[in-house]
Amino acid sequence: MAQGRKGKLNYRCPRCLMREIDMDMLYDEDRDEYYCLRCSFTGDENEVKRLNQQFREKYRDRLKRITDF
Amino acid sequence: MAKFYVNIVHRPEMVPEYIQKEAEQGRVEDLTRASVLRESLDIFKTQQQIAHDNGLRTTIQMTYASLFNEEAVAIAKEHHLLYGDEIGLTFLGIQCKEFREKFHSRELAIWLFSMEDKRRIVDELFSKFEQVFGFLPTSTGSYYMDAELVNYIKERYPMVKAAVATCWEEGPKAYRNANNSWYTLLDGGPWNPWIPSKRNIHCIASDEEDDIGIVAIPHLSRDLMAVFDGPGSYYGTHPQNILRGMVYEGDQLPYFKNIVDQYRAMHKYNRGYAYNMMYVGPGWMSKGGRWEADYALLLKSYQDGMAYYGELKRRGELEDLTMSEFADIYRQGRPYTRPECTLWKDILYGSRRQMFWYADPWMRFCLDMNQGGALVDLRPYAAKLVRPCGVGTQANQDASYPFLVQSLYRAGFFTHYAGEGAVKSCKIGYHGEQVDLCTCRTQASFSEEGDTRVVTLDPVTIVFETVTIRVQSIFRLREGSGEIEITRRILESSDPAAEFSINEYLTGCYGTTEYPEDLTGVRLSLIDGGQTDTIDYAYRSRELERAAVDCVQAVLPQVDTLVEMRPDGPAAGYLREGFSFSPMFTLGIQKTIQAKGELRTWLKVAKAS
Repeated sequence: MAQGRKGKLNYRCPRCLMREIDMDMLYDEDRDEYYCLRCSFTGDENEVKRLNQQFREKYRDRLKRITDF
Repeated sequence: MAKFYVNIVHRPEMVPEYIQKEAEQGRVEDLTRASVLRESLDIFKTQQQIAHDNGLRTTIQMTYASLFNEEAVAIAKEHHLLYGDEIGLTFLGIQCKEFREKFHSRELAIWLFSMEDKRRIVDELFSKFEQVFGFLPTSTGSYYMDAELVNYIKERYPMVKAAVATCWEEGPKAYRNANNSWYTLLDGGPWNPWIPSKRNIHCIASDEEDDIGIVAIPHLSRDLMAVFDGPGSYYGTHPQNILRGMVYEGDQLPYFKNIVDQYRAMHKYNRGYAYNMMYVGPGWMSKGGRWEADYALLLKSYQDGMAYYGELKRRGELEDLTMSEFADIYRQGRPYTRPECTLWKDILYGSRRQMFWYADPWMRFCLDMNQGGALVDLRPYAAKLVRPCGVGTQANQDASYPFLVQSLYRAGFFTHYAGEGAVKSCKIGYHGEQVDLCTCRTQASFSEEGDTRVVTLDPVTIVFETVTIRVQSIFRLREGSGEIEITRRILESSDPAAEFSINEYLTGCYGTTEYPEDLTGVRLSLIDGGQTDTIDYAYRSRELERAAVDCVQAVLPQVDTLVEMRPDGPAAGYLREGFSFSPMFTLGIQKTIQAKGELRTWLKVAKAS
């Protein structure tokens, strides 16, 4: 098994993020996957990005400029 | 005319926690690593330049480490002369080679040292600052500055007039968000600047005798809805916090401007005054990227945020002040009793939810319009709890101010299967049916009548099996009274002769975290003239009721607080003791009314001793 290192970006575990826990992941070069030390998540960069996009969806107004207060 | 004041604060941190942590990957710790020092200083310079390019002045908070760095000191002096930036002193970023040699500690949080160490560190930092600059600072700060620490600073350095003193609702939620490793347990303070009490920094001073002598400002301006139920470091006037919360797409984060604009609108609730604070440490703009954002996005988000403040300034809609300048202005003509309040609306989740936040020298509370105006957070500032923190104290790391009600930590309306949660609301009953206003979503509006702030909720419709009614709730807050007046009125009924029970209640407890505390010793009382019935809390599910009461009370010696409800006329009162699976107490006042009838009660908190 390869030594886990930080990847090119500081990806947090998307599953832990869903429950608002910021947990940095390690990257396994041999398997080209990120993994979480806490929740057993594994996934490549595309999977992480897909889940991060899912996380964002709770913010329905994330792209809306609101000026009426 | 509305005034919007902004403090922009930068610090040359030299060894930011996050950069150092990244630099440590696979390497041994080295606080003197040149690459870290260089990068940190570069980021500080970049931040300063972005502010100045947008015509904005800053407060430079020198860290202890930066006082040993000639370049950082020279930049501060130059920017003070060229741009009018203030040079202050922060207790963030104390860790460096010199600190380790002098204090032999790896502690990074000033409020967590022993009192003896706090005194030594204060003296060392102020004396080093004076040696470097030839004068003493008038502003200081940290993530948290406990009252004991500030009292000592004021005793030794009375010229200090402003401090970054707390991060709003950075408590158990922030701790959990950081994988249970970030010890800023600081819930319970005001969200906007305040003059703190000498007894407890979270509490707002009630008079000159109680005035600690500084104006406190919060570390950032937070989203008052999202941060009540989520990590503080996702939602505030800190672009990289917003990136951390992933409230963006591509390189667009309009949410930053939405927060700024909602804070700007607070002048409507606070006699024409509004405030913002932006304070991004260099570790958040690391060249290696931060969270999922690369450096380009970190930089752009900072530039965009600052550009918005700059634009507002050019339009004459913003006044950029240094921290000490702001402290002077804040105190001008401001009575100690003046509350801070705001009707916050959702700008994130796409709901129409509103929350009303209020803070004065007696209490801080929050009403949730999603729950029919239920009171979901209550902090008894009137108790002015002396609650030192740090090594050698009982509280140790837990620097939060205790609550009597916190509906997210202690359930609120919805509980699983059994028991009750902490909330203050009202139940309306008819022929065996009962509806809690917590289940009646509504909207609110704010108005003022002289010295009384009024929160008027839109009427809600309650449908019983054979009759339908419209009910309205109104909250009135008379400045200086230390009470909340609550009116529940039945505006209409499909059967004008029908009679309804109306039951105003408070289910409370005390604590600073999600876990229950021991309620043994809490005394519940029903008071009617000279007659008093009491329950001394022992988890025995006891209940008491009287057909007529002057008031119902709970005294909680653990937080030196008395909480009381009283009606404006004849009404019944009751008390309910909880049990171990439901560690709460309930105070209630009820009466029977028809259409056009109302129940008016007052809620008061006071120091028990």
